[in-house]
Amino acid sequence: MDVLEVKDLTKKFGKFTAVDKISFSLRKGEILGLLGPNGAGKTTTIQMLLGLTTPSTGSILYFGRDFENNKQESLSRINFTSAFNTLQNRITVLQNLLVFAGLYGVRDAKGKIMKLVEYFEIMHLLNERFKDLSTGQKTRINFIKALLNDPEIILMDEPTASLDPDIADKTLALIEDLKKTRKATILYTSHDMREVSRICDRVIFLNHGKIAAVDTPLNLTKKIEITTLRLTYDSDKKVLEKYLRDNELEYIFQDKNVVLVKTREKMVPKIIYGVTNHDIWITDIEIEKPTLEDVFLQISRT
Amino acid sequence: MQELFITRNSYEVINDIIIYPLWSIIVFGFLTIYLAGVTGSVIANYVLLGTILWQVINITQYSIAVGCLWEVWSRNLTNIFITPVSNKEYLLAYTLSGSVKSLMVMSLGSLISYWIFHFNILDLGILNLFFHFGNLTIFAFGFGIIILGLIFRFGTRIQAFAWGLITFFQPLMAVIYPVSVLPKPLQSVAYLFPPTHVFEAARINVADQTIQWQSIITAFLLNLVFVALSVVFFNAMFNKSKNIGQFARLEG
Repeated sequence: MDVLEVKDLTKKFGKFTAVDKISFSLRKGEILGLLGPNGAGKTTTIQMLLGLTTPSTGSILYFGRDFENNKQESLSRINFTSAFNTLQNRITVLQNLLVFAGLYGVRDAKGKIMKLVEYFEIMHLLNERFKDLSTGQKTRINFIKALLNDPEIILMDEPTASLDPDIADKTLALIEDLKKTRKATILYTSHDMREVSRICDRVIFLNHGKIAAVDTPLNLTKKIEITTLRLTYDSDKKVLEKYLRDNELEYIFQDKNVVLVKTREKMVPKIIYGVTNHDIWITDIEIEKPTLEDVFLQISRT
Repeated sequence: MQELFITRNSYEVINDIIIYPLWSIIVFGFLTIYLAGVTGSVIANYVLLGTILWQVINITQYSIAVGCLWEVWSRNLTNIFITPVSNKEYLLAYTLSGSVKSLMVMSLGSLISYWIFHFNILDLGILNLFFHFGNLTIFAFGFGIIILGLIFRFGTRIQAFAWGLITFFQPLMAVIYPVSVLPKPLQSVAYLFPPTHVFEAARINVADQTIQWQSIITAFLLNLVFVALSVVFFNAMFNKSKNIGQFARLEG
């Protein structure tokens, strides 16, 4: 079941088209990644999905109903978290959460906050002023804010940006847990391909405001046929180089006794067989399959 | 609720909406002691009365405009505007909190002026005070949302308007002196401002508690027109801001 449907969504700023007739849907319980280089239109798309920027044309339907005409109802069923927004700096964590619980009309606000605070293990921060928290702590409080109304959809705009690797990993683990325990439906934007591969069920690549590709991370990487074969050898370099050159392979010698060969995956056995048949002693073989980052680079350079 | 939390936790807000207004009342109070000796107590009382009533406009419009800026400075505005709270509810909440604050400051200021300067604002009559407070609050609401619309449209580069623009119009509203002292061409302009009628009526009430219906109704009707235009202006600015992407960029 689609909980969000976007049809021909377009945003023009003067002559510049930031988002160009994009259409996609978000299924219940799915984590959908929205990827793209800077200026691809990710943030503008999120802003339109939140009602902060008015689309030029196109439609947004939450739960089958037009967002523009049912804004308050839609907003009560979704929420948002971003590395670029914080809560009110001057007041405490608890005061912030009470304010948002009030704005979302949460019943038993204090009870709800306490449950979330325990889940996110930040009980000791409740009476701290928001501005005195570390970036990682602020991220967790933002997550709590985003869960206060039991949202059916959570929009996340680069929630791990500017976090150190350890906190970013914990944040991703939290998102994975949200999906498992709460069956959360999430639209997730990020620059980090590894985290998108890790948590997203499907990925949309935006480039120049248009959708360049939509698929699962695995299927997207399968579309790139080139694999890197990393061979460690213990023989004469000239013999190996002659073999690679004669077979018109793309290669680069790296460090001592290591060569990287770019080839199609199905050619790998043939190359290994050919190399060993030329009396070249191979001590280690590694196959580096294409990653989502390769897909990203390929799309963003087109 | 947030306004209460911020006010409790922020020295700047306490200073801007409590200490500074009360301090103004005290300073003008001492001026009235001097004036009473030179011109008599009537004119001195006009000054103190105008200073106290002015706080209703000042604090309410400040609450609406600066309330939004507190969210922008904290990068929290987006979070507020993606909740199911409508614009109407947002503005009314800030107006309500502004009115409560201005009522508190007005009461405190009135007590100070009674104890120290022997001016009893209740001499105007409770009903008169009620009408004057209401008219000034309505005007402050209209002015506040004009500033808010400008902030949404042009961003924080015009944030000083939130606490400064109202003082630009203050001389035309004849707060502490009668309209008659203004140059003739400016008098007509002054009467276009609803507060001018309120302050004129309030000065009469110092000596005569009779309700100045004509002034009150004129101020109210002008307020209706002003608020209607303010709402149209605010909506135009808000929609334009969302159209050009400025609203989403407000937080930098």
